[in-house]
Amino acid sequence: MVLITCLSNVAAQVGIGRIMGGSKFHYPVGQPELPPEEELRWRVGLLDKGLSALETPVQESTIF
Amino acid sequence: MVKVLHYLNQFFAGIGGEDKAGQEVLFMPRAVGAGAMIQEALKAHGVEYATVVCGDNYFHEQEDKALQAIRAAVDQFEPDFFLAGPAFNAGRYGLACAKLCSWVRENRRIPVITAMHEDNPGTKEIGRHVFVVQTGASAAAMQECLRLFSLVIERLLAKDESAIEDFRLEYCLPIARRFTARSDAPDYVRAVDLLLAKLDGQSFESEIPYIEAQQHPIPNLSGALKNATLALVTEGGLVPKGNPDRLESSRGSRYFKYPIEGRADLRRGDYEAMHTGYDTSTVNQDPDRIVPLDAMRVLEKAERFKKLHDYYFVTTGTGAMPSKMEEIGAGIAEELATSGINAVILTAT
Repeated sequence: MVLITCLSNVAAQVGIGRIMGGSKFHYPVGQPELPPEEELRWRVGLLDKGLSALETPVQESTIF
Repeated sequence: MVKVLHYLNQFFAGIGGEDKAGQEVLFMPRAVGAGAMIQEALKAHGVEYATVVCGDNYFHEQEDKALQAIRAAVDQFEPDFFLAGPAFNAGRYGLACAKLCSWVRENRRIPVITAMHEDNPGTKEIGRHVFVVQTGASAAAMQECLRLFSLVIERLLAKDESAIEDFRLEYCLPIARRFTARSDAPDYVRAVDLLLAKLDGQSFESEIPYIEAQQHPIPNLSGALKNATLALVTEGGLVPKGNPDRLESSRGSRYFKYPIEGRADLRRGDYEAMHTGYDTSTVNQDPDRIVPLDAMRVLEKAERFKKLHDYYFVTTGTGAMPSKMEEIGAGIAEELATSGINAVILTAT
């Protein structure tokens, strides 16, 4: 599992394995100020990074 | 005159062991077994003591009948205090004590006191305002426990609120319950005092007990990502417009899954977020900002992974009991595991 959140430190405190910083607290995978196409491109990039995190073996809480 | 009604199982009432666990409810207008010691300790108050007994198996196999008979005993005797146990680590006995105490407290508003070991399953059934004295796992702790039963009754009779609170803190199981308590200063003063202490580098103690998170093993992906089926999960409360299943917007107690098969993205107007913990307006404008279906479809098409699961899972992660959230997490995990999901992307606000 990879967790996308803006509260990375809290996630690490409770022992989540793979953590990725999101965009904002109230829209972790959004960038509303961008035009829709660019926002999607940004989101694909973020999720692609999330997939790379899934492929990375970890033993302890790791913030990607 | 103080009237005490004490609930015991067949064993502690001296009727018999497992062979007598089918014992029906029995009312005795006197102290039985360990009750004699409490009666003795309270004799200065002129105590009238009665005992109600029920077999461990009878209570659970005929719970309705047992409860009815025990309630009748309570109504007939009209006790000032209701005691149950101690149950130590005896599971059936502990559950019976917990259920009875909760019922008596809820319906008769008298002080109720039981005692058990922290691992007793009865601790999960304790209702509000029940004193649960912490005991050892075995009856070796009997003497101390009876002393504590007498002690708390003394303090309750004296109506000494601070001594009662001390008793709770010192001798009772720390079961997460809310109680009304008086403090020396209003909350805003205490909050500022805490902040100042923190800024000054002095020691301070939070009024909210910290709940230690349980540590779980961290699983790694077994096999290549391009052969993996992935699922989207969120605590952000995103549900179909109109919230058909009535997901709570706070203190969530349930989770749901909603189909995304054949959808390229989550369209504005088809979904809404039920969540009092964040400003949901930006997510409502484009639900992919909390459940990133559009991006996952792009990556699925690019064969970064094999397939996206046909449902996304959702609950509301605000204001909830950690224990409830653990249940929800376990439920989602089990469903995902049985659906052959290899990995999860979880978005959280």
